[in-house]
Amino acid sequence: MALLEINDLHVGIEDTEILRGVDLDADGGEVHAVMGPNGSGKSTLAKVLAGREEYEVRQGSVQYDGEDLLEMEAEERAQAGVFMAFQYPVELPGVSQQNFLKESVNAVREAQGKDELGAADFIKQVRAKADLVDLDEALTKRSVNEGFSGGEKKRNEIFHLAMLEPRLAILDETDSGLDIDALRIVADGVNQLRDEDRAFIIITHYQRLLNYIEPDYVHAMVGGRIAKSGDKDLAVELEERGYEWLSGGNAAENGKAAEPEEAVA
Amino acid sequence: MSTAETQYLQDVAEQDYKHGWETDIEADTAEPGLDEETVRMISAKKDEPEWLLEWRLKAYRYFDRLIQQEDFYPDWAHLDYEEPDFQNMSYYSAPKEKAQYDSMEEVPQELLDTFERLGIPLEEQKALTGVAVDAVMDSVSVATTFQEKLEEAGVIFMSFGEAAQEHPELVRKHMGSVVPYTDNLYAALNSAVFSDGSFVYVPEGVTCPMELSTYFRINEQNTGQFERTLIVAEPGSYVSYMEGCTAPMRKHNQLHAAVVELVAEEDAEIKYSTIQNWYPGNPETGEGGIFNLVTKRGICKGDRSKISWTQLETGSAVTQKYPSVILKGDDSVGEFYSVAFTKGHQQADTGTKMTHIGKNTKSTIISKGISAGVAENSYRGLVKINEGAENARNFSQCDSLLIGEDCGAHTFPYIEVGNPTAKVEHEATTSKVGEGRPSSSSSTASARRSSRSCRWSLPWRRRSCWRLNWKVRSADRLPLTCGSAGVWKFPGSESAGNLKTPTLPYPRTLYPPADRNVLF
Amino acid sequence: MPATVQEEPSTEARFLRAFEGLSEKAKNGTVEAVKGRRRRAIERFEELGFPTNQLEAYKYTNVAKALKHEYRLAPAEAAPQASEEQVEALLLGDLDAHIVVTVGGRFSEALSEVGPLPEGAFVGSFAEGANAHPSVFHQHYGQYADFEAGDPEQRAMTALNAAFARDGLFLYVPEGTRLETPVYALHLPSAGDEPLFAQPRHLFVVEEEAQARLIEMHRTPSGYAPTPGSFTNAVREAYVGARGHFDHYVVQDEGAGASQHTTFGAYHETESIFDTLAVTLSGDLVRNNLTITPAGPFCESHLNGLYLGRGETHVDNRTVVEHAAPDCVSNQLYKGILSGKATGVFNGRVHVHRGAQRINAYQSNKNIVLERSAQIYSKPELEIYADDVECSHGSTTGELDEEAIFYLRSRGIPESRARVILLGAFARDVVENVRSGPLAAWLTDEVDARFGARTA
Repeated sequence: MALLEINDLHVGIEDTEILRGVDLDADGGEVHAVMGPNGSGKSTLAKVLAGREEYEVRQGSVQYDGEDLLEMEAEERAQAGVFMAFQYPVELPGVSQQNFLKESVNAVREAQGKDELGAADFIKQVRAKADLVDLDEALTKRSVNEGFSGGEKKRNEIFHLAMLEPRLAILDETDSGLDIDALRIVADGVNQLRDEDRAFIIITHYQRLLNYIEPDYVHAMVGGRIAKSGDKDLAVELEERGYEWLSGGNAAENGKAAEPEEAVA
Repeated sequence: MSTAETQYLQDVAEQDYKHGWETDIEADTAEPGLDEETVRMISAKKDEPEWLLEWRLKAYRYFDRLIQQEDFYPDWAHLDYEEPDFQNMSYYSAPKEKAQYDSMEEVPQELLDTFERLGIPLEEQKALTGVAVDAVMDSVSVATTFQEKLEEAGVIFMSFGEAAQEHPELVRKHMGSVVPYTDNLYAALNSAVFSDGSFVYVPEGVTCPMELSTYFRINEQNTGQFERTLIVAEPGSYVSYMEGCTAPMRKHNQLHAAVVELVAEEDAEIKYSTIQNWYPGNPETGEGGIFNLVTKRGICKGDRSKISWTQLETGSAVTQKYPSVILKGDDSVGEFYSVAFTKGHQQADTGTKMTHIGKNTKSTIISKGISAGVAENSYRGLVKINEGAENARNFSQCDSLLIGEDCGAHTFPYIEVGNPTAKVEHEATTSKVGEGRPSSSSSTASARRSSRSCRWSLPWRRRSCWRLNWKVRSADRLPLTCGSAGVWKFPGSESAGNLKTPTLPYPRTLYPPADRNVLF
Repeated sequence: MPATVQEEPSTEARFLRAFEGLSEKAKNGTVEAVKGRRRRAIERFEELGFPTNQLEAYKYTNVAKALKHEYRLAPAEAAPQASEEQVEALLLGDLDAHIVVTVGGRFSEALSEVGPLPEGAFVGSFAEGANAHPSVFHQHYGQYADFEAGDPEQRAMTALNAAFARDGLFLYVPEGTRLETPVYALHLPSAGDEPLFAQPRHLFVVEEEAQARLIEMHRTPSGYAPTPGSFTNAVREAYVGARGHFDHYVVQDEGAGASQHTTFGAYHETESIFDTLAVTLSGDLVRNNLTITPAGPFCESHLNGLYLGRGETHVDNRTVVEHAAPDCVSNQLYKGILSGKATGVFNGRVHVHRGAQRINAYQSNKNIVLERSAQIYSKPELEIYADDVECSHGSTTGELDEEAIFYLRSRGIPESRARVILLGAFARDVVENVRSGPLAAWLTDEVDARFGARTA
């Protein structure tokens, strides 16, 4: 049994159905890239996994480590080792990053039956993990994300990831808005965090992040379903051909002609 | 602000009143004084139906009871003027010749000249601009243009008097429904003695084919002007309406106490714009000028309806008005955009009231006050979120500028929040004009917020009001600079968003900051 | 309660009657200047009556309506005093301070421990200080919170206080003197059968180039049962001389049943610094009137407030900064967290007088509403008569940011804890403005504990 098993997941808000039957399995050591055009539902998938409550799960199941993930509160998921790096990290003025992280790390450790991290160890960890993403140590002492640049916020997310050592890490468009240098730093951090026990789900709009993080699997999401899965070559193909060849030849995206022959039913 | 802009503002501040001539038209003016007979006389002159007379009399009796009370006069505003003597003014004045004209040929030349001088030549308007104008002189409607085209669309646009005759059911239904005569002293007075005004009715689903406009002018001496405007927008309709006002120069104060009521049903939208340039009184002595004490209120009755008030207030000796919106329908929207310029001895206490009742209601208030000479300019506003108004949103920004050291600029916002899901933000700044202080760049967050809330264009910049442009120019060239995100910014005002603590002048003080914490 | 309105004398009448009864007794322990003004004060009060919300300054707070008891006007002689241990428990851990204690508005010699002071300085009882420093007293008493001057709407309670006040605190720091350690004033409620209407009077004089910090705490010792329904009508006056520096911090935490009306008039001279903080942690009705007049150029005035309303607490802070002199800076930051049926009111006014050029005045009021039954009224006002100024104000009201809560939860922090963290963060910038480390630390813990207890 895989670490994460998503079966026939249907999700909506009010009258709109966003996910229309998503199937995806991910196991420790694997990196899955989920790609898709805007509105395909890929970010919704990340948010549902992280436990956002505004989405209504209408059908299907998500098993995480043998448990029903959808029954768990957002904080329980985090404590069980699920982590989502936000597409738009939230600024928390007045919340010191150090205190917050200490509390966060220890809440997760406590839930996993580990000892609380002592002050000295904590500081040591902060230094080491901040280095991973080249995050200025001063930023680890400020209010969470307050006044951080866009790139710093994204790096801060990966820093949190490193501190919390999750088993399932979901990156929700972490690459959006990053310049090449920042992208490389983030990717390097992620690569160093790749681990036998850790699964990554990387949500992205573009293929360029996958130049730096080599995925084991690529899933193309169209219209709320995974229209095609493959290896890293699929990402390149998607980049070249656009998504419409998967969506049954409707609206031409990126100005490219529809090529229906390879569409998946 | 550039030097040119600063200079321009200074020039405007020093400008004389341009509309202070009077028109020599024989008028039918009532003797000064107010009692039940006056009310009956007005009603009779206008040949009104019985129900309207009854309504006037009720209002009059209420007014009469009110003024018997001690301290009846509403003097809570930041204004200082002598209470008008209600017995010493005339409550009716009309051009002597027949007030309504069937065609333009019948309109006397003096009157046409009057409007020509005002910049509203009816003929030209008719021919060129596509604006239907209902011109009200001393409270009586003198000409309405473009009737046919409006009729085609089913839009009713006529003087209030005509409407009471021709559409009594509509007038009866809505008159006083937004501003009851018990609302305040001047609403009661207006309800008793109003002489004319405009009535607009836009049927369901109709977008009014042109901008509607009424021009008001007080001509006679010692007359009060009491017009009433009622605009009803049925579900899914749209109308944009503009009023403009001037008056001749007189030694004595004249009273203008209008009532405006707007009703927006489901999905309807009303835009109401005012260019108010009544005679402001003698800039040196403060003698004369109009007391502009007006009650304007709209109700967003239906879901997703919208009412937008825009005002450019440059005239009047005393201005007190709070164009307001009652946001009753869910998802309804209220807006208030105001530029108030006071100079000489002018005083203005103006702002708005946004009452949020429905769910997801939104209101935006942008107010710019500019004060020069020995003028006093106050913003006074109320944002009230009722308990049931889930997810209500308000954003208010009120900026004041002062030109010269003898004027005053004030901000009196009232914020009342009874629902925790509401988000209410108010910001205000007061600063000097043309200082050229360094203004630090606004943060992205604030820019984002402002662009959401402040995107507005002055309606008089659009196609229709070509002849009013001389006034408009003063609006066009107010010291507003448009920031990158379409944000109106005053120099030195850190636009919306991050309210920054002013930098403390530590070097001037005894203890530099580093020293302070070791004191104890 | 008597059955008809006619038989019931008005609350005002009861005070007037009490005044006639008390005036002989009141001669003891106070100085001539006070006595001389009592008659005029009670007459002014008789004219004005208790403030109702008919007054613009009391639009959202009806003091008259809150006076629902038959009050005692002085602590009963036999009222149990707090023990030294109880006082000990209410000190701020590591704060080294001159300690003064009042019980029911009266200075307690036995519980106070002022310790050594610089030469000429005085910290202690108002009545005693007035006798020890009659000229200082004469010069300053009734000057900054006067029942015959200032906003007419705010005079009634000051007049009532001036008629009855017999004791309180007196702080005097003569020219060029520094109080090296802060003064810690602990105000304890009195116990007894009837609720007390206490009217303490405080006077703080920090002269030219002098410095002092005063921390006033209204608290209730554990195991000490104050009578519910007590009302304190306190008047404070402060004078800060040229280039002086005075920090004044007050914490109101007398429990849900106790009401307070405070009037604070402060006047500071050229290049001086005056720093205030008003924290309301509990109470029934709390109304604070604060008027600051930076009277000379290059003054700095800092006004900070934090109010936590729970249950049916009604907190109303009214501030007025009278910028009468040019080149000054004033900065106001008031933050409120309201839950239950609590009501929070902020009414701040910046008044820049004609000729007071180059003023920088800033005013901010931010509120978080936790429950739908709570109410917020915010009325920040700018009244400006000088053109070369930079004044601004802002007011925001809303809920805790759901997005922020989710962010914390997604990092493993339980929702209830996430709320506490965010509330603490909200209060943080007010706390950070407190220059006393031990007080700031205490406040941080207290905000945390109160909401931790509520949401856990």
